[in-house]
Amino acid sequence: MDERIVAELIDAFPKLIRPAFMMTIPLTALSFSIGLILALITALVQIAKIPVLRQLARFYIWIIRCTPMIVQLFVVYFGLPNVGIRLSSFPSAVLVFSVSVGAYCSETIRAAIESVPAGQLDAAYCTGFTFPQAMFRIIIPQACSMAFPPLSNSLIGLVKDTSLAYSVALVEVLATAQRIAARTYDYFWLYLEAAFVYLIICSVLTIIQRRAEKFLERRR
Amino acid sequence: MLELQHVRKAFGDVQVLRDISLSVNRGDVVTLLGASGSGKTTLLRCAGFLNRADAGTVVLDGESYDLQSASRNDVLRYRRQIGFVFQNFNLFGNKTALQNVTAGLIIPRKMDRSQAEKIGLQALEKVGMLDRKDYYPSKLSGGQQQRVAIARAIALNPKVIFFDEPTSALDPQLTGEVLNVMKQLADEGTTMIVVTHEMAFARQVATKVVLMQDGVVIEESDPKTFFENPADPRTAAFIRHAQWSAEEESQEARI
Repeated sequence: MDERIVAELIDAFPKLIRPAFMMTIPLTALSFSIGLILALITALVQIAKIPVLRQLARFYIWIIRCTPMIVQLFVVYFGLPNVGIRLSSFPSAVLVFSVSVGAYCSETIRAAIESVPAGQLDAAYCTGFTFPQAMFRIIIPQACSMAFPPLSNSLIGLVKDTSLAYSVALVEVLATAQRIAARTYDYFWLYLEAAFVYLIICSVLTIIQRRAEKFLERRR
Repeated sequence: MLELQHVRKAFGDVQVLRDISLSVNRGDVVTLLGASGSGKTTLLRCAGFLNRADAGTVVLDGESYDLQSASRNDVLRYRRQIGFVFQNFNLFGNKTALQNVTAGLIIPRKMDRSQAEKIGLQALEKVGMLDRKDYYPSKLSGGQQQRVAIARAIALNPKVIFFDEPTSALDPQLTGEVLNVMKQLADEGTTMIVVTHEMAFARQVATKVVLMQDGVVIEESDPKTFFENPADPRTAAFIRHAQWSAEEESQEARI
């Protein structure tokens, strides 16, 4: 690694950090938040056994989990214009990522809620709780600490999956590295540097996860 | 004060409750005895609307509720007048002992926290759990959890408390502390329906003993008559069998 490359990598680093903060992190945060809401709704619909909605939830989870995310991105970004729906890169990515998080995390949340002993729901009823009160005050708080590690997994996975948005012309970390390398032909080093940026973000998330788990542990 | 009328319940092809009626007066301690599978727990769960009966009515203080088809609001109103203590305690895992007791006051009944805590602390004191008020259920023994569960029920000042085998999940050494608390409640005039296998409790504390078999009541009398002069020969057989297994157990304990 000669001096020219070192200088180039140092020069490129802020250029890669910028899209990380301007694109990767907001895209992840937004998609994950919307996805979690979707996941909670589809999990509750199944647990409360609401007819029709429950079948719809199963159908949605089936479709999303059994098709590749990059194909979903292509369908939304390149395909939908054929039927008259035009979405630009960012909304396309948010749509696909949040729907994907919703499908995967729905199963996580459903399993976590079902892992809370059913007797506690009986006890809540006999203490005068309504179903929503019992769910939101007793069952879901416990399910959260149960679901926390797998949900953190999904979040970290999503950070890396956002690089797929490169394929729908979203200028994020990978696309930026690609552009710089296209000028200098140092693909090897720049892609490594892009990987390094993802590594930093995910490492920070891992540390936060560990701290949060300890905190949740203390409250039991 | 509480009356169960013509309760029927089947699980699939198995008829668990066949036309059961039971009446409870204020201050009564009714113990429901019977072999496993006789339907006593199912009767209690139906009376708490935890399972819907196929037919039957419960009358509480003159107000009647259909056990099969009562509306959600009616069920809620009814449940806010009863207490329920479970075999497996079912304490809320995310709440401390005190929070378990006050949750029913604060969340569904919208009582303010300080008043709820005052009531909660009194209830915990009554069951001898005041010193463990900030413990989470996972840090309490079975007997302690069950006493907190009893405090949770009495804090709501219910008209009647249902006990579903409250000592069956406990080690023999721990049943005593729970039974003592229940005896104390009985002495104070709490109306209770207790499904149990504890014959001594039925004999000493109950005002009425009911024996169920195959989904019907076969004996219903005061404890003295029940244990000394039962009307149905099956009752005598049940008592003999229970005494025999109790002796067996104490012999095993000695070994």
